[in-house]
Amino acid sequence: MIKNYIVPHYLNGFSKSFIYFIILFFILNFEKSLSFFSLFKIATPSLISIIIYIFIKKLNMKPSYLILILVGFLNDIMLGSHLGITSIFLLLIKIFSEGLLFDIDNKKEKQDWISFTAIYLASFCIVFFVNILLNSSVSDLSPVFYHVGTTLIIFPIINLGIDFIFFIKRLLKS
Amino acid sequence: MVSGKPSRFKILKGRRNFNLLLVFLCLILVFLGKLDLIAVRNMKSFFSDFLAPVTFAFNKPVKEIAGVLEDVKSATSLRDENIRLKSELRRIKVESSKVASQELELFELRELLKVLPKNKNNIVTGRAITAPGGIFANTVLINAGKDYGIKIGQPAISSYGFVGYVVNVGLKTSRVLLTIDINSMIPIYLTESNWPAVAQGQNGDLLIIKFLSSDAKPIDGEVVETSGHGGRLPPGINVGKLFKSFSGNYFVRPSVDFHRLTYISIITNKKIATTISSGFEGFAPLQKPKKSPVLKGLDSSGTRKIESIED
Repeated sequence: MIKNYIVPHYLNGFSKSFIYFIILFFILNFEKSLSFFSLFKIATPSLISIIIYIFIKKLNMKPSYLILILVGFLNDIMLGSHLGITSIFLLLIKIFSEGLLFDIDNKKEKQDWISFTAIYLASFCIVFFVNILLNSSVSDLSPVFYHVGTTLIIFPIINLGIDFIFFIKRLLKS
Repeated sequence: MVSGKPSRFKILKGRRNFNLLLVFLCLILVFLGKLDLIAVRNMKSFFSDFLAPVTFAFNKPVKEIAGVLEDVKSATSLRDENIRLKSELRRIKVESSKVASQELELFELRELLKVLPKNKNNIVTGRAITAPGGIFANTVLINAGKDYGIKIGQPAISSYGFVGYVVNVGLKTSRVLLTIDINSMIPIYLTESNWPAVAQGQNGDLLIIKFLSSDAKPIDGEVVETSGHGGRLPPGINVGKLFKSFSGNYFVRPSVDFHRLTYISIITNKKIATTISSGFEGFAPLQKPKKSPVLKGLDSSGTRKIESIED
């Protein structure tokens, strides 16, 4: 009896993964193209880390590790950066968000922001360190600070937006 | 009562090990990529060719919206811009008459000195597909590749000046490493103070100057061009202007706005590197002597060699 459900189960899993892949790939491309705006001329914010965090913590949607590796891999090819560096960043965001290191009960917006800041900074610092090792020199820090700053500023805006959508949804249901 | 299921702690531990293994695998991939293996390079160019239309389709609407916003922004300062342009035009008209007479004089002097004529550059122009963004890498993908004769190492320019050089070529696309990238180093020449140096990118807006002589006295605001040393890049391409920071260090501010690149030209001259290398043996102090068909007892000129007793 159970065997009859295996094929639909796998199909369901595959379709979910495919949708995650499309969404994440679209967000990564959108993030890159933001540099056409003069506001993000120095550096673009890391939208992908915000989305992955919200997926895991708020929407309880967990994109698989394989999808994250694949998306990061394609992003590195398109950006021309070191192959695998984005994959490491996305994997670390997922690992930390799933609560291996930071298991904070997110009930308030402030806690949510602090939790994201800790996760994001930890992942970014590791990747930044790997980059320094690879280039054997430290790059200009102003784009790095701008990148981190804009990401941390944008996070509450997106977070509030998601909360607002949920609120409207609940209101409509009631 | 012993349950057959593994404990929650064991599951977590197993998952953590699996996660770390994945991160470790990615790290290995990063260092493999750094080795610049041919297989990795070919794979990158294949995927670049494959993904280029998708990325272009994603980027196009955002680029258009950004363009419209910029236009709206500039429309607010239209009057001021008009006044500035009028004064600029007046100044250019005066300067162009001076330049015309100087050009004629230069031409005559060249004729008198029998200066070798400059090689005409073969140029292939492509459209920039991706945005140059990225805090760890600054590259641009263009929609021209091997099929247009583009090769690794060829210089890329825009109407404003030097953009970078080609680092990877696919069948339909090529990747240009911008001068602002941390891995980019170009030989430059300070046009007014007459000193050669090397400009290195820092993933920021400015290029840092390296290997500048301690005797050099650079002038703030002087034009910086490619020197052509090493034979990799042609000389005389505008790179930017010298800029003195508050700390007293000198930087180069590139003349190209890398975030508004639409078309990039690749100089596909075949003779940039080969003219120097052909027949050139370098200045290495320990060169091996050439093997020549010299018979025993005769020197290279063919005369009889008298060997001394000590030998």
